[in-house]
Amino acid sequence: MKRNKPYLIAGTMLLTALAHEAHAHPHVFAEARLEIIANGEGQVEALRHVWRFDDMFSSTVLVDFDKNMNLKLDSEELKEVGSVVHESLADFNYFQIVMANGEEVEMAAPPEMMADFSDNQLTLLFESKPKGDLRLKGSASFGVYDPTFYTAIEFPDDGHMQVENLPGNCKLKVVRPDPDEAIAQNQDMLTPDFFEDASNNDLSKIFATRLEVTCDE
Amino acid sequence: MRRMTMSRATILATLGLVFAGFMAEGSLAQSPLGIGTSEPAVTVSGPFAGLFQWINTHQQAFYRSLTDALRAMREDGSKLWLLVGLSFAYGVFHAAGPGHGKAVISSYMLANEVALRRGVALSFASALLQGITAVVVVAAVFLFLRGTAISMTDATHFLEVASFALVTAFGGWLLWKKLRQMMVTADAGHHEHSHSHHHHNHCEHGHVHDASCGCGHAHAPDPRLLGDKKLDWKAGWSAVAAVGMRPCSGALIVLTFSFLNSLWLGGIVSVFAMALGTAITVSSLAILAVYAKNRAVALANGRSWGNLVHHGIELCGAFFVLMLGLLLLGASLSG
Repeated sequence: MKRNKPYLIAGTMLLTALAHEAHAHPHVFAEARLEIIANGEGQVEALRHVWRFDDMFSSTVLVDFDKNMNLKLDSEELKEVGSVVHESLADFNYFQIVMANGEEVEMAAPPEMMADFSDNQLTLLFESKPKGDLRLKGSASFGVYDPTFYTAIEFPDDGHMQVENLPGNCKLKVVRPDPDEAIAQNQDMLTPDFFEDASNNDLSKIFATRLEVTCDE
Repeated sequence: MRRMTMSRATILATLGLVFAGFMAEGSLAQSPLGIGTSEPAVTVSGPFAGLFQWINTHQQAFYRSLTDALRAMREDGSKLWLLVGLSFAYGVFHAAGPGHGKAVISSYMLANEVALRRGVALSFASALLQGITAVVVVAAVFLFLRGTAISMTDATHFLEVASFALVTAFGGWLLWKKLRQMMVTADAGHHEHSHSHHHHNHCEHGHVHDASCGCGHAHAPDPRLLGDKKLDWKAGWSAVAAVGMRPCSGALIVLTFSFLNSLWLGGIVSVFAMALGTAITVSSLAILAVYAKNRAVALANGRSWGNLVHHGIELCGAFFVLMLGLLLLGASLSG
């Protein structure tokens, strides 16, 4: 009888795992910078994104786009990289999630995406504008997140999320949600169906690293 | 009563593991960026998600360390052994996470195998082939595909579709074979009077282990008794090819980076260390699958539903291979 115990334990152990939910396991890493450009009246004009990808991933991009086989990405090739990403990310709102006083703010697609390759690393730059009028009044938050878990977009320190021309009555706070905590807090929402839908913005609302701007009246 | 519970737990655990790998693969996402190659981002939900999460945390840590070691090798060639060790550890964890290789091999073992040694051989062969495929793909891309219309992503996608199609075909064939065998067996069952004449045949085929068969230790028949050896090896090799044709993306990335930085030896050694690690995990799971199956069959042996358990497990195994193939193929083609 004793010999059989391990099976029971193994079975129980594996079944216990039933209760848990798993989340992000990205293998592409990008070091990011976000600059929110406001004008003198606290109106948001644009969000400027810079993403610098890790050299492993970057090298796979290089061999895919190096049409002239010189082991470099020339300007024509970089243009191609930019346009492919530009097209692909349209389905994912360019990994942005902007909220103002509890409402999601619609962002216009960036006109283009610039690509650069130096030091073995691919960098993407783009600028996205709010579709309507967005003012830094009350509370606003600017999140960047890949809802498909493919890319880990990391802001190395709080200085990598900034506001240009921040009105004097506003305060900044960078929030990096802890995935486990976020999952625990949103247990009822996180059904398998929820994860199925990668374009679901709610996912970004929960997990995205975001810059919260709070302005006193 | 107690025995029942134990056999159930065993079957459940094994089928669960196979099934979890199968579900997790279903949610493979194409890159949202539209460029480059990366380890697929897998969202696991449902059964075993917690376990996979733990595995994946470790896998990711090893991946980061191994890429760091690779970068360090650019300056200092003596880091090779560190790279080998990390690649091996990565392989072990990589195979333990959701993946088609483990699921196909384990399901195949459930459906067909009773010989542990062959399970181990198949696991090693498929992992080795996966390593070779990765080296061939990256070398081809690097040496002559670059600049052509065929990108590494295309080549990988082609192999992936081919691999999944093969898995599907293999699963279908396996299921068909099982069903036919069961029908033949059922037919033989009607001629109870001639049982003694069929006796040897039954055991030779190694699939009917009911008490009346008299094979005794039905859970571990002598491999020599396994009927059509040629056919079985052919089936085994099909499984190896189906799995090994699709290179692991981790290996592709590491190789691309190595080749770009002229770290030829480092890249190749790293990939085969990964393959070795993968092989060890997949063999363990294959062994677990066979052991659990034999255990369940042995426990059920002599009961009226004993045969049902045995055939049920084998059919499930074959069915899983087929479903896995269909699901992966569908995801891959629509992606």
